[in-house]
Amino acid sequence: MYGWSGNLLNVSLSDGSIAYEDTPYLQDYIGGRGLGVRLFFERASPHIDPYDPSCPLIFSLGPLNGTTAPTSGRCSAVTRSPLTMTIFDSNCGGSLATRAKACDIDAVSITGRADAPSLLVVEEGTASIVPAENLWGMDIPSAGAALKGRYGTRAGLAMIGPAGEAGVRFATISTDDYRVFGRGGLGAVMGSKNLKAVVFLGSRKTAVADPAQLRFVREQALKLLGANPITSRGLKAFGTPILVNIVNTMGMFPVNNYQRSHTDRADEISGETITATMLEKRRACTACTIQCDRITSIDGVRSRGPEYETVWALGPNCGIFDLRSIAASNKLCNTLGLDTITCGATIACAMELVERGHLDAPISFGMDISDTIGLIARREGIGARLAEGSRRLAESAGAPGYAMQVKGLELPAYDPRGAQGMGLAYAVSNRGACHLRSYILGSEVLGIPKLLDRMLTGEKVSLEITLEHLNAAVDSLSLCRFTTFSLSEEYFSRMLTSVTGVEYSETDLMRIGERIWNLERLYNTRCGFSRDDDTLPPRLLEEPIAEGPAAGQVCRLGKMLPGYYRARGWDTEGNPLPYKLEELGLDHV
Amino acid sequence: MYEEFKRIGKVLFGLGIVGSHSGNLSVRSGDRIFITRRGSIVGDLRPSDIIETGIYEDDSGILLASTEIKVHRAIYKKTPGLAIVHAHPPYAIALSMLYDEIYPRNVEGSYFFHKIPVVSVKHGIGSDESAELVSEAMRDYKGVILRGHGTFVHAKLLEDALSLTSVLESACRTEYLLEIAGRPPDSDVKW
Repeated sequence: MYGWSGNLLNVSLSDGSIAYEDTPYLQDYIGGRGLGVRLFFERASPHIDPYDPSCPLIFSLGPLNGTTAPTSGRCSAVTRSPLTMTIFDSNCGGSLATRAKACDIDAVSITGRADAPSLLVVEEGTASIVPAENLWGMDIPSAGAALKGRYGTRAGLAMIGPAGEAGVRFATISTDDYRVFGRGGLGAVMGSKNLKAVVFLGSRKTAVADPAQLRFVREQALKLLGANPITSRGLKAFGTPILVNIVNTMGMFPVNNYQRSHTDRADEISGETITATMLEKRRACTACTIQCDRITSIDGVRSRGPEYETVWALGPNCGIFDLRSIAASNKLCNTLGLDTITCGATIACAMELVERGHLDAPISFGMDISDTIGLIARREGIGARLAEGSRRLAESAGAPGYAMQVKGLELPAYDPRGAQGMGLAYAVSNRGACHLRSYILGSEVLGIPKLLDRMLTGEKVSLEITLEHLNAAVDSLSLCRFTTFSLSEEYFSRMLTSVTGVEYSETDLMRIGERIWNLERLYNTRCGFSRDDDTLPPRLLEEPIAEGPAAGQVCRLGKMLPGYYRARGWDTEGNPLPYKLEELGLDHV
Repeated sequence: MYEEFKRIGKVLFGLGIVGSHSGNLSVRSGDRIFITRRGSIVGDLRPSDIIETGIYEDDSGILLASTEIKVHRAIYKKTPGLAIVHAHPPYAIALSMLYDEIYPRNVEGSYFFHKIPVVSVKHGIGSDESAELVSEAMRDYKGVILRGHGTFVHAKLLEDALSLTSVLESACRTEYLLEIAGRPPDSDVKW
């Protein structure tokens, strides 16, 4: 078998059973997100609690992992999110995917709950559950150092920190090279299983069906990645915070929990400033030429990033414009295992609740948040309420409208009142307010493939849907989303064909993406999600942006949603119609 | 939507790659197609020149739609394209009468196309045969030339389809110049 290994590892932490089976669904779901979602769908009832031991946590790899395909160092983790209660895939870079793939598996599905803190150690053709009481309570860097000391520097690690152990609903799973399965609280699911880390020890190389063709397609792809200023210069030079000035200039940069959408202080925290004052070294995930990762240092605080979303969430969204403070908060989140976006957005929500008299807590916009982050990770004091995420916090305070979330997932750093397609993308995303499901912002802000008028609602539905399918496919190949700035599905299908030896056309790839999207939707509708959940916080629908380049705008979601459902082949309530399910081979699932 | 059709049509005419009443444009929205009216002036489109009908099923709109609608529908069924531009670029048409496939050697052309297949049909414009052969070729290639007739290009946006059509014609023009300079196409291409 080329590309895939054909092996699915099943582990039960409750009874210690370890078994391999032939991996199903590979050709129809590819791997990564698609394979993980398909496996989860058949193994978890829609009524399952994410913390129920029988709820699977699936790490899923793609056929391109371990090859020279550009940016093929990504992988997915899939389960039901304790934050959103939707099916949820989280995506991670670094070197983990390559090391996990070297264990000769396509995925590992973990169920059960260990009696005591444990590790899962995966090798080629075997796996074992190992006691880890001595690691429980350790933060991410300490656990990583201990595990590297024990298993060697070439071990691939997926670990949780104290936040995952404490069941914080937005706890991350982190690798030893500081890349994270960031969103959705998958670290809390891992913690509920008493699983501190998964260690991957393998050396198998991915077999490629047509190495010469892969080499040729790769060369062509690298030409395009090199010719595009975003993937060749911008992200490398400034990292993702290059977006701070661009998004702020468009009046879409949220401040103080989305109360404002523009600031005069963007230069203080911009990518340019971070590069000039903090950058130590650029880094890249495995097989990546884009190199957006970076090691930074300020006042002795040495860390990774901060990424654009992190700069915003732990900065201006909390009224903070001090890079030292942002860097320290970022490091704290990474150390404790917290999603920086949800963490910052939840603190910002709490700040507004306090400001408006709905919550009594010693926090306010602009104040240092490092103590609060620590309280969240340990679920102590006010941290216990914030550890539930913004939706549950605001609901418990009797003011749900101040939680800037969709389906329980906090919005990232793009105000959709200034880019209408982004509003639709947040609302219909199967995992809540995620900017990466379609990244239609690429067209509305960056002009990829061509610039669309960001204030218009028309003509965006079809593009939105196509991008959702493309990105589901890219997540299943396990490539980085940034490749789509330069490469089209033509390149992805040719790389997949070269590696697996199975003929995939562009249309095949997009159809697989559509199948994945509809399967996720099916799971969510069976969980009880409906049209009512495909919406945005009232602030974004009703309160016009007060100032800046997007002043006067609200998100006109109602103009886009019916057309979106119709174009998808869904009924007016957002349920996939029988003909669509049949067309996608989902009529019997 | 009309404004976008009008803008793109005007540029196509300005580039000299459609005639007064030749060429056509369409966009896809779910199972619906919006396509220029049969006999419309592509360089001067009016709101009534944009016709809506089905991709999979006919309705009254079919009476007014471009004669090439079969080809557009077939392309949408077989590719992920959301927009199609059909133009009559002179250099592309000329080269299509000399070669079965074109490998652009200029940098821009090679980046975006690698290879441009040429398709021959017996039954001409808007036929089932041209719909089948053009759409089949477009499964693997963004742009195709129908021998002696014109180009079909699909993309995610109408403007992108325009852009690619322009790149295609520019590549063919370069190839034509190389041809008359005595530098025939090389064949060492794997795409």
